[in-house]
Parts: sequence; structure tokens; C-alpha cells
Amino acid sequence: MTAMATEVIAMPTVLARARGGDHDAFAELIETHEAMVYSVAWNFFGDRGKAEEIAQDVFLQLYRNLATIESESHLLFWLRQVATRRCIDVTRRSRLKAVSLDDAGDLPAREHAADPLLDKRLRQLVGELPDVQRAVVTLRYQEDLDPAEICRIVGMPVNTVKSHLHRALQALRRKLESH
Amino acid sequence: MKTGLLVLVFTIAAAFPAAAQQINLDFPGLADKADEVVDVTLDATMLRMAAKFLSNDDADQRNVRDMIHNLEGVYVRSYDFGSDGDYDPRASADRVRSQLGANWKPLVNVRSRTKENVSIFADMRGDKVNGLVIISAEPHEFTVVNIVGPVDIDRLASLEGEFGIPRFSAREKSHD
Amino acid sequence: MNLERDLTRALRRTPPPPGFAGRVMQRIEREGVQARRVRPVWWRAAAASLTLAALLGGYTAHHVIEQRRGEHARDQVLLAMRIAGAKMRYARQQVHGIGSER
Repeated sequence: MTAMATEVIAMPTVLARARGGDHDAFAELIETHEAMVYSVAWNFFGDRGKAEEIAQDVFLQLYRNLATIESESHLLFWLRQVATRRCIDVTRRSRLKAVSLDDAGDLPAREHAADPLLDKRLRQLVGELPDVQRAVVTLRYQEDLDPAEICRIVGMPVNTVKSHLHRALQALRRKLESH
Repeated sequence: MKTGLLVLVFTIAAAFPAAAQQINLDFPGLADKADEVVDVTLDATMLRMAAKFLSNDDADQRNVRDMIHNLEGVYVRSYDFGSDGDYDPRASADRVRSQLGANWKPLVNVRSRTKENVSIFADMRGDKVNGLVIISAEPHEFTVVNIVGPVDIDRLASLEGEFGIPRFSAREKSHD
Repeated sequence: MNLERDLTRALRRTPPPPGFAGRVMQRIEREGVQARRVRPVWWRAAAASLTLAALLGGYTAHHVIEQRRGEHARDQVLLAMRIAGAKMRYARQQVHGIGSER
């Protein structure tokens, strides 16, 4: 039996290359995370143009602050946090309201939608929630985060997050039942 | 008088509820005429600091540390002149005396034609000395000491030795 | 109806319109966005060492200055007390001398 020597060559990660000034690596990072960032803004506003603008701003901010990003998990946390907080800030500054069902009529069709009308209606109702509730619901159901993870992103005690989530679900149920 | 000295001794019997005071020890122009000047200005903070550096192994230094423990200030001006007539001893002494209020009582006044004239004043509180001014005027030297705070005069007079430091005046004096 | 399951489906991630990464990179070029520089670890270590050295040096200098101030204050006290003691003794000697002459 021949002994085989395995040589492990440590390859620099995409993050490390991006930190080193490699633009291609940074573009790769964008492609990896663009759906998450874009969707946070999309689910928040229901406005394609606004979601694109916010998502671009988030990645520009990331480009400036790459030096502070320590790991892949840190990058994910950072993007979720900055995207969420930027959405809340934009809402509070402009008092942007959620789009109506009519406005959302040209939304791209989503795969696996059991009931496209229900999805559309839910997105509209989420968009009508108060900004913090909207952020908590988006992180909970889009990103599948538990309240402990959400509280780190929005900077609130975990019980406050749970309370927002509970009130948001109550409001959504009430509105769905009233139609 | 065989020694040519006129000594006036004042006895302090009454208590004077006056606070010890720091007096003005500025003598304009005197330092310019003097060959040697000693200027010691130590407030309470500096005295506390000095106390930390006084040796336990030396009896004199231990003694000094005990003495300065509650003092609020120690101020000395001493001018050593090269020849007679470089300054006016009486005017300089009067400048100090004029600042001493009613609470300051003369303890000793030594007057000599050939040696030192020394006047000692105390700020008395009951039987406690709460401040001291010593004025020493002789043809070649003028010295004022102002101690602010409770002073043990007997202990002060008992201080001997050089404490390991040079003598304050270049001119060796003979008091004996 | 299962609201939470429906929300998970309705809010699932959606990709941005094609070419998103390219548009971000164009903005970086166009707006001249600058990445904040990463200071190498050795640089930080050197900076930390220099800071520590400065602090230690400062502390030592402060300690030396305090020591000198204290010693100077001690010498001043001893000098003042020696002068005061000498004047007191002189006055006492004169008083006692007059007393003994009588």
C-alpha cells in the first residue's frame, strides 16, 4: 500500500482578496450576498427602484469598510444589520409608505408560490407595519433568524424583539381575516 | 552692660484668638544688592511632599517631619551682603513688623550694636503658638522666617546639625 | 392557514435585476469610493509598542520629576528649619546670657 501525502494549500478567501483590493473578489462578494441585501429592502418597501438604490448604497458602504470585516459570518451579520438599519432610516426620513397592491402588480413572479395573490397580499400587509415590526418580520421570515439573532441586528433587547414580532403577527392575522 | 547687648524679653500671658497668617516677604531691590539669596517657599502641599522624603533613620529629619506635620507653610528669605551699608537693616525689619497685626505678639527682641538683632513674634491661640515670624538683621545679613501653623518653639530651638545639607550662608557666623 | 409558513414563502429572498454587481462596481469607479486602508498587524503592534513605551516613559519621567521635587522640597524644609532653629537658639542664648550675668 502506497502512502499518499496530501498537500493542503491555503487559498485566500474571496473576502481576504477583496480586503486586499481585488475588485473581482469584491464583485464576487456582491453576487453572493446581493439577493439577501436586495430582498431586505424589497420586502421593506415593495419598491424595486428603492430596493436597488438601498442595496447599492449598502455595498458601497461595505466597500469603504471592508477593513473592519473580520470573517464571512461577520460579513453576513454586517450586511443584514446595515441593510435593515438603512431601511428603517430611509422610512423615518421620508415617511415612505408601503406600495399598494396595484403598485406591486408588476412584481416579478416568484417560483414556488403556492398562492401568488396571498404572497402579494402578505407583502403589502408587511409593508404597512410600523418600521421596526417590518424589520423584525423581514429578518425572521426572510432570513430565518431567531429573536436572539434579530436583537443583535436591530440593537434591541430580545424581549422587545419578541414583543414586536408577536404584535406584528397579531396585526397581520387581524388584517387577513378582515378581508 | 558687659556684652553690649540690650535684651528685651516679653512674656505672653494672654490668649489671642487670631489665625496664623502668611506675611508678605517681598523686599524689592534687596536681592539685587545681595551676594547670596536664600528663598524658601513651601506651602502645605510641598510640606506634605517633603515629609515623604525625610529619613526615618536620622533623628533630626524625624524631628523635622514631626514638626511640619500640621504646618500650613514655611517661608524664608535670607540675603547675605558683601559689605556694610548695602542695605538698610532697620527699614527692612520695619517692613516686616508693619504687617504684623494685633494677634502677633513679640516673644524675644535681641538688639546688639555689633551682632545680630533678632526679633521673634508669635501668633498665639491660648497657650499654643499658631504661627511664627523671626526677623534677623545684621550689617551683612538680613533674614526673615515665617512659619504658618502650630509651632513647637522648644523643639524648633533644639534642632541641631546640618541635616546633611550645606549651610545656608556662605558667610560663617559666630554667635558665641 | 399557516401564517408563519406563508410569510416565509412570501418574504423569501429575491435576486435583484441582472447586472446588479456591475452597477455597484460602476458606482465605485464613478464616485471614486475609497476603501479605508487596512493597517497591517505589525503596524498596529508597532504603534501599540510605541504607545506603551511613551506611557512607560511618561510614567518614569513623571516619577523622576516627582522624586526630584520631593527631594528638593525636603532640602528646602531642612534648610528653613535649620535657619529658624539657629535664630531661635541665638535669641535664647542671649536671653540666658543676660540672665546669668545678673
